[in-house]
Amino acid sequence: MKTDKIKEENNWAVETEQISYTYEGNEKKALDEVSLKLKKGRKIAFMGGNGSGKSTLFLCMNGILKPQEGRLRISGSPVEYTRKGLLDVRRKVGIVFQEPDDQLFSASVFQEISFGILNLGVDEESARKEVEKVIEKLGITPFRDRPAHALSGGQKKLVSIADILVMHPEVLILDEPASSLDPKHRKLVRSIIGQLSESGMTILMATHDVDYAFAWADEIVLLHEGRVLRQGTPREVCGDAEAMEQANLEQPAVMRLYRRLVQKGVIDPAGEPPKTIEDLERRISG
Amino acid sequence: MIVIDKLCYQSKLRYVNASEKFAYAVLTLILCVASRSALTAAVVFSVNAWLTVAKGGIPPARYGKMLLIPAAFLLVSTIALVVNLSRVPLDAFAFPMGGWYLTGSTASVLEALRLCCKAFAAVTCLYFLSLTTVMTDILGVLRKLHIPGLVIELMMLIYRFIFLLMETASAITVSQDSRLGNRDYRTKLRSFGGMGSALLVRSLKRSGVLYDAMEARCYDGELKVLSEERPAEKKEILCIAGYEAVLLGMAIWSWVR
Repeated sequence: MKTDKIKEENNWAVETEQISYTYEGNEKKALDEVSLKLKKGRKIAFMGGNGSGKSTLFLCMNGILKPQEGRLRISGSPVEYTRKGLLDVRRKVGIVFQEPDDQLFSASVFQEISFGILNLGVDEESARKEVEKVIEKLGITPFRDRPAHALSGGQKKLVSIADILVMHPEVLILDEPASSLDPKHRKLVRSIIGQLSESGMTILMATHDVDYAFAWADEIVLLHEGRVLRQGTPREVCGDAEAMEQANLEQPAVMRLYRRLVQKGVIDPAGEPPKTIEDLERRISG
Repeated sequence: MIVIDKLCYQSKLRYVNASEKFAYAVLTLILCVASRSALTAAVVFSVNAWLTVAKGGIPPARYGKMLLIPAAFLLVSTIALVVNLSRVPLDAFAFPMGGWYLTGSTASVLEALRLCCKAFAAVTCLYFLSLTTVMTDILGVLRKLHIPGLVIELMMLIYRFIFLLMETASAITVSQDSRLGNRDYRTKLRSFGGMGSALLVRSLKRSGVLYDAMEARCYDGELKVLSEERPAEKKEILCIAGYEAVLLGMAIWSWVR
C-alpha cells in the first residue's frame, strides 16, 4: 500500500543530479555535470554528435558505468551500487545496444532471448512462455530457427529488441535503433517503438535523424561535449537555432519549410505548426 | 566448417529430437569401434550415409566430397600399418631393396583393411551428427549430460563469435584488396599481419562491449539460457534401440567367433 503511494507520487522515470563521468586514461569528461529529469511514459529523443556523451549517459542509467560524481535516481529511488541494487536498476532500465552483433551472444534466437528473463529469476516454464510471446509480438517467428550469423541486420535488430522487451523494463533505452537499417526494417522498428510507448513504457532514444525526432518525441535532450545543451519540447529545442548549430544539427525540414511558407503567405499560421511533411502537405492542400 | 554449418541448418532431420540423434551417433560410434568385423562397419556406413543423404537431404556429391577429406588421412596411416621393412619377405607382397624387403603380410593387409572400414564408418557417425544437429542443439544435449557449465558457455560463445571473426576478417581482406594490399608477396605478408592485429584489437573491444551488454541484462556470472526441444518420437527411439541391439549382437559375435 505504502509503496504504491510513493510510486504514484513519483512521476520521474530517471533523474540525474550533476553526474559526471570520465573514462579511464582520458582527461576530458565524457559527462560533465549532467542534470536531467525524465518523465515517466514519455518519448524522449537524445541528440548530439558522436562523442557528445549519449552512450555514456545511457550506460550510467543502466548502472553499467558508475558516475564519479553526482547522483542518479530511477523511478524515485536512488541507485545503489551493490549487487542487488544494480540488479534492480537493470530490471527497470533496459538498453538495446546500437550494434546487434555486440549484444547477441548466442547463435540461437530462442536461447538469446531467454537469457535476460532467466537472469531475473523467473522459473523456466514462465520464461519459455514470455519468450514465445515476445517472438510472436515482434514477428520473429519466420526466422526464429535461423542461426544469428544467418540473420540480416534488421532481423538481428528485432532480436536485440526482443532481448530487452522480454524483461519488461519500465524504461527502454534505444541507442540509435534505426542506424544501418534498410527502410523496411526502419519502419518496422519505428512502429514497434510506437506501440511500446503507447503501452506506457518510457522510451529514451538516441538518434541523428532530426526529422524523425521532431515528429516522434515528446521531448528532446540536446547533448554537446558531455553537457546538456538544451532540454525541452521538440519545437523549443529545434527552434533554438543557436543550440542546434552548436550541436551540428540542422533544423527539421518541415519546420524550415513551414516557416517559409508562412512568410510567403502560402499557408495560414493559425493552429498547430505541422510535425511531419505529411501534416504540412495536408495543410497546404486543405 | 561453414559449409557443414549451412548444410546442417538445411537438413530435413534438423528438427528431430537432438538427444535422440546424439544417442544414436554416439552408441553407433562405440559399437562400430568395438566390433571386430568389417561387416559391422559396412552396415554402419550404409545406414549413416542413407540417413544423412536420403533422409537428411544432404546433396550426395557434397557428402562424397566431404568423405574424401578423412579418406586422405586414412590412406596414409594404412600404408604405415601395412608396409614393413624386413630382411625376410612376407607373404602378401615384397619389393626387394638391396638386402632388405619392403614387405607386408596377408594378415596385416586384412587387418589394415578392416581398420580402414571401421574408421570410415566411425567418421560417418560424426558426420551424421554434425550434418543433422545444429551446434546449439548439441550444446543443449551436453547440458543435460551435466558437462560443466563453463565448457558449454565457452563453446556457445566460440561458436557465435567464430562467425563474427570471420566476417570481420573477410571485410578487412576485401578492404585491403581494394587498395592493392595483396599485390605481391611482400604486401601480402604485411596485409596479413595488419589484419591479425586489427582483428585482435577489434575482438578485445568487442568482448568489452559484449560484457557490458550482458551485464545490462543482469548477467551474474552464469550464462543461463533455455534450449528449445523437439519432443522425442517413440517410433524413432524404438528404431534406434533395435538397430543398436543388432549392432551389439554383431559386435559380440565378432568377438566370440
